[in-house]
Amino acid sequence: MRKTVLIALVAILLVTTGLQAQTLPPRLEFRHQGLKIETTPVRNHVEVSPIMTLLGGEAAFSASAGVWALSLGEHLVQVAPDRRLVLVNGKLAEVQDAPISSPGGIAVRLSFLDDFILAPFGFHLEPIVGGYSIVPGVSSGKPITIRPAAADFSATTTLVLSLDRAVEATVEARPGGGVVVLLPRSAPRIESPNRLRSRRVRSVVAAPGRLEIDLSPTIGLISWNVLTGPDRVVMELGTVPPTPTPAPIIARPVERSGPRPIVIDPGHGGDDTGAVGASGLSEKELTLVIARRLAQALRSAGYPVRLTRDGDAGRALTDRAALANRLDARLFVSLHANASTVASVHGAETYYMSLDDRASDEAAQFTADLENRAGGAGLQGGSTLDLILWDMAQSEVLNESARLALRVQARLNALLGLKDRGVKQAPFVVLTGATMPAVLVEVGFLSNSEELEQLASPTHQQGLADAIALGIGDFLVGQ
Amino acid sequence: MKGRLLVILLAGLAIGALLAWLLVTGTTHVALVEDVIPAEPPPTPTPAPEQRITLFFAGGDGLLHPEIRTVPLPEDTAARIRIVFAELLAGPRSSLQPILPYPAELRALFVTPGGRAYLDISGPPEPLEGSATELMMVYGLVNSVLLNTEVVAVQVLFEGTERATLTGHLDLSRPLVLNKDLIGR
Ligand SMILES: [Zn+2]
Repeated sequence: MRKTVLIALVAILLVTTGLQAQTLPPRLEFRHQGLKIETTPVRNHVEVSPIMTLLGGEAAFSASAGVWALSLGEHLVQVAPDRRLVLVNGKLAEVQDAPISSPGGIAVRLSFLDDFILAPFGFHLEPIVGGYSIVPGVSSGKPITIRPAAADFSATTTLVLSLDRAVEATVEARPGGGVVVLLPRSAPRIESPNRLRSRRVRSVVAAPGRLEIDLSPTIGLISWNVLTGPDRVVMELGTVPPTPTPAPIIARPVERSGPRPIVIDPGHGGDDTGAVGASGLSEKELTLVIARRLAQALRSAGYPVRLTRDGDAGRALTDRAALANRLDARLFVSLHANASTVASVHGAETYYMSLDDRASDEAAQFTADLENRAGGAGLQGGSTLDLILWDMAQSEVLNESARLALRVQARLNALLGLKDRGVKQAPFVVLTGATMPAVLVEVGFLSNSEELEQLASPTHQQGLADAIALGIGDFLVGQ
Repeated sequence: MKGRLLVILLAGLAIGALLAWLLVTGTTHVALVEDVIPAEPPPTPTPAPEQRITLFFAGGDGLLHPEIRTVPLPEDTAARIRIVFAELLAGPRSSLQPILPYPAELRALFVTPGGRAYLDISGPPEPLEGSATELMMVYGLVNSVLLNTEVVAVQVLFEGTERATLTGHLDLSRPLVLNKDLIGR
């Protein structure tokens, strides 16, 4: 039960980080009937008041209800910051992204503006250069091009739908078999559908706002993810139990034979060079060299290993832990080389994840203490059920990650003769969503001339790889 | 049967939420705009009292170290943050090193009623490198703001935009809280 909660919560984290909302430019123009306004988006949200003015409507704030009333003619839309409920002409609707408080009062996502403010008033957004035109009528959906590709493995098929823009996609298993991909407000078009070759995927067909995917008998949806950089929907297909189950939003592990691998992630790669030393040695080269040596050391100790990249390939940050999750990895180790503006800084460091926003309420506690000291009432601790569940699930993995980090750092300290270098916590993107013990190792500073020289030497690279392998071994033996 | 119960339950919840939403009174949900894009602190008629503030700068050990100085400090949270930022930008007076690797400009500042501060600063003129650079810059700023105001979390925006990360390490897509691990002894 606890494990289920854990997986579900981590999956929520994964999905929310995967579903990156559209990034808006610093300035956005809106046109309507020959008039135009320019706005500055607030955290990718658009100010509502100027748009109501542009339309000739009204935005009024009711302080007693804490609600904004947006009116145009007979139509009334009521919204409030941080609330996912909207009243459209008196009817209740639930939205995915709540509006936020903004310098202008209230701001919403573009999709929110289109669906819950403009649509009730009989308008929709039409993209133009530098912004949007607000025009009458119902949106027919923005075009989106989908390039499907499938890879058949012995037990499963990975189907990748590459998208030419970000979209809030959801994937559901159809009751009668097959899969549907919902692409709200989109007019999908499939590029070269005949090139899709798979023994488990029969066809991918586009329809307004959705894709219909036909699968071979007994084949169903195991898991799916929406990933960015580049934008794509990735799904794992395979034999599913005949009983109809709700569509999993959980990246469940693939059927696997043999022991669970250790996933080593050589940081950066491709266009992302990472830090570069004065000698030209780059972080992406160094992490790959050490990753290969580390993989060899672990394999010779009898541990199966997978690398997130085994060459100079780019890979999205969010993809790396996701791969470890899919492989049901035993451990996830991300390798990096550091750089500092302070030239004297040197040495290796091991980090593990901190869940700043939810789990760590130290700052709130700190502030509460301050307030108490000042005679105030203190802040309310957010001890809601979901927070408790979240903490329970996360603390288990975090404790293990801390133990792994300590073991690895101890071996690195011994190698480098570092005295009191401890492990640290920080919210690293690459560790986000990992469902197994996960650490990020900074092997040294390319910005320190002495250490740069060391890092370039194969002997030192081997020493670092061996130290990390020993640390991993210490952790696994103690498990 | 189970499904129907669930529907009834959900409908009940929705109605309850709606009622709560509509019936809420008072000012708890009023979004207080504390500050909007001023380039400089507004002139105050009476000078703010001098107070000790704790600023974090980078040490030779790759960690943050406090530097305490006495400055006129107003009560208002946004005004305090602006002073903390200006002092950080002015740099350390000791042997410590700056945390801001470029002359960043505080473009805008916004504090929610819940105590979350959003600091919109100008972006780096050229790409920055290394997790240490990112950690020192972001947590030097976050820790300094948290220790001198009643803010509970800080999110740093660049050029008015939420950035997933600055050098490919730290997750900047959400507000950050105090990080004690990065503070040296
Ligand atoms: Zn790196």
